[in-house]
Amino acid sequence: MSIQSISLGTVGALALGAAVAAFVNSGTVLSLLTQAIIYAVFAIGVGLLLRQNGMVSFGHALFFGSSGYAMGILLQLRLMPAEAAIAVTLAGMAVMAFVIGLVIVRVPGVAFGMLTLAIGQMFYLTASRSRGLMGGADGMNIDWPATLFGVSQSQLHKPATLFLVCWITLVVVMLLLALLLRSRFGSVTEAVRDNEERARFIGIRTLVPRAAVYALSAAVTGLAGLLSALNTGFVSPENLHWSLSGVALMMVVVGGYKALWGPALGAVVYFLAKDILGDYATHWMAIFGIALITVIVFSPTGTAGALARLVKGKKAAPAAGAPRVAARH
Amino acid sequence: MSELVLQAQDVAIHYGGVKAVDGVSLTLERGQIHGLIGPNGAGKSTVIDAITGRTRLTRGRVHLGGQDVTALGPTERRMRGLSRSFQRTSIFGQMAVRKQVELASHKMGVADSEADADAVLKELRLTPLADVTAESLGYGEQRRLDLALALVGRPSVLLLDEPMAGLSVKESLDLAEHLKALTSRWDVSVLLVEHDMDVVFGISDVVTVFELGRVIASGAPAAVRANPRVREAYLGSAA
Amino acid sequence: MLGINLFNGLVYGALLIVMCSGLALIYGLRRVVNFAHGSLYMLGAYLGYSIALQTNFWVALVAAPAVMLALGVLLDRYGFRLLQDRDPLTVVLVTFGLLLVIEDFVQTVWGKSNLSVPAPAALNMSVDLLGAPVPAYRLAVIAVGALVALGLSLWLRHSKVGLFVRAASTDPTTTAMQGVNTDALSAGVVGLGTALAALAGVVAAPFLSLSPSMSSDVIIDSFVVVVVGGLGSLAGAFIAAMVLGMVQALGAVYLPDLSAVLPFVIMVAILIWKPAGFAGSRT
Repeated sequence: MSIQSISLGTVGALALGAAVAAFVNSGTVLSLLTQAIIYAVFAIGVGLLLRQNGMVSFGHALFFGSSGYAMGILLQLRLMPAEAAIAVTLAGMAVMAFVIGLVIVRVPGVAFGMLTLAIGQMFYLTASRSRGLMGGADGMNIDWPATLFGVSQSQLHKPATLFLVCWITLVVVMLLLALLLRSRFGSVTEAVRDNEERARFIGIRTLVPRAAVYALSAAVTGLAGLLSALNTGFVSPENLHWSLSGVALMMVVVGGYKALWGPALGAVVYFLAKDILGDYATHWMAIFGIALITVIVFSPTGTAGALARLVKGKKAAPAAGAPRVAARH
Repeated sequence: MSELVLQAQDVAIHYGGVKAVDGVSLTLERGQIHGLIGPNGAGKSTVIDAITGRTRLTRGRVHLGGQDVTALGPTERRMRGLSRSFQRTSIFGQMAVRKQVELASHKMGVADSEADADAVLKELRLTPLADVTAESLGYGEQRRLDLALALVGRPSVLLLDEPMAGLSVKESLDLAEHLKALTSRWDVSVLLVEHDMDVVFGISDVVTVFELGRVIASGAPAAVRANPRVREAYLGSAA
Repeated sequence: MLGINLFNGLVYGALLIVMCSGLALIYGLRRVVNFAHGSLYMLGAYLGYSIALQTNFWVALVAAPAVMLALGVLLDRYGFRLLQDRDPLTVVLVTFGLLLVIEDFVQTVWGKSNLSVPAPAALNMSVDLLGAPVPAYRLAVIAVGALVALGLSLWLRHSKVGLFVRAASTDPTTTAMQGVNTDALSAGVVGLGTALAALAGVVAAPFLSLSPSMSSDVIIDSFVVVVVGGLGSLAGAFIAAMVLGMVQALGAVYLPDLSAVLPFVIMVAILIWKPAGFAGSRT
């Protein structure tokens, strides 16, 4: 993606967000959109790992829930102002994930997936069985202070404000990632993803870049967790459960992981589907499961990939994997 | 005698009870093309692995440009100018051609990696394919890309592991011509393992014949060709 | 006190043996880590419940695994076989999708509340074991586990089909070239693996009770067993299952906070040290 298209996209997205906040009056709709955005950021984190490292994490909810719990604990213990706590939480997520990453990215293929599932569930069980501060299975409230970054709580919790905060976060995350992936870091991690041996041979140290991507994906997902904590004021073990990780993963697959915005599309599809399905929404698991299977089998690059192919007018065989398209970076 | 850019002395690689390479000595002079031939399983690829440091030596030493590199890993050797291509094409499938060549050049420490990449692409006639994703390339083009990755940073020694494998007759001839030109134009010395007899005897200054991990003959192509032991073991007396 | 806990450990271990042997077999033959295995276990349990409601436990014990065997064959034929040339991660994601479909199906048909299944009348009693009273049913569960372990080992080691299975697990191409119908074999083995999961489910029902969270409760432990034992290795799975069963049972009593974490720690440690697991990857 050229600098031009990135800039254009960013400005356009911000304008769109402003328009929605200004003209949509229904608090319910805004609320729904906000939730979708939060999940979109979550999914982008998972998708980043898949895109840059070629690795599938079945346990990313760990970072989603942990950042909520971290905020909750920091605020309860009144160790620092909320603004500082946010920074500390995000940094902490990244560091923790980097350390974990250094250990687990060495594990190849499906074993990595199983490991992430195990670690994720470990955090879930720890939270469920916790006593005291973390509230065990009931979860804990997050005591946001009266003002945050100068904005009062009542103002902050207006549907339009929350929506805007989340939307802007999404746009900024996409912008930063797009810029990062155009850089040397992006090339290096793609090389390691494609051919680890040759990457090492040309002088790339393969462990650190991959752990860094894992840490970055964790930070993005952690950010989504913070947004969720702000949105609901609450965190519980459910935010750490593997089924949540699964939902995010599905969004990535259905939306498509090759495009940076693919997972966000998947989040939109998920929420739209839940809404449209109405009564049938109780069967969202089955429907999404079937969607997952269908997409994986017939269009591995997801909806985003299918759309991209449509726009470019190519008729590449989807089952072959990546579309035969000239890369434009 | 001209400068020795590469020297392998009494190199041996033993895996358990198997002596894949058993006491091999090889030299490569500057500007030379040195061909290695021998039946499958004779140890040729293993020798390349040994010289590049991909496999550990059981015995022996490797000198690059007069310096002992035996203790160094493949990446360090590459940084010092000992490069190789791979028998099974080893490229970065989902990256564009130019992007990966430039990355390789950058990682080599080349100051102007963009210029270096462009020069290599031009040399291997990959410039029109610069923006194409590697996995979309045809087989021959992918082989050239594999070679391009090996040529960034102007290595002094290039080890080629069956570069003609899978290429058409025309492509093989083209590549052969190219290699000859490269040695003088780019000051690269080449050690190549190949099965295509015509090519090897056509472009090599020196030919070494392997059998069961050992050298059984070495010298000028004509002499090696006429060597009765070689004919018996490998070429067949009709050669 | 210790004795009872060890005993319960044996019971859970036996259950894991039945469950995980299926998982190991499927991996051995199709190189697929079946993320839906826990759901198949759950489906088998619920099916067994319904069948038992109409007839009795013993009929369910046979019928539910039989139905699931058919399902497993279909799963292989129309799932794993068609996807065998794809990235293993792709197939795993498909099994994950399958997991969701089954979960939803179970919740739709049987509802979300816990269901209890009584132990069959013949075994609904206490038996004296080394001076302590133990439920006869649990003793029977241990027996089932032992039978499955023994039966599978003997079958694989001494029967012709068992030989084919071992060969196909090691080298499917060569085995096919030798004239063995590896597709039929895989379908059979996946069917068997699924049936074993179902059997575990039916057997578990009386003492674990049925709930929609059954599958996630057991899948993590199953992964730990299969990974620690070595993906594809039955012997490894048997040993790991017993060890894990003990760890869980003892841990739940003596170290409640740590017991949840311990299996994961073990799995993490093993996978990092040896990504192929302890016993390697052969049956």
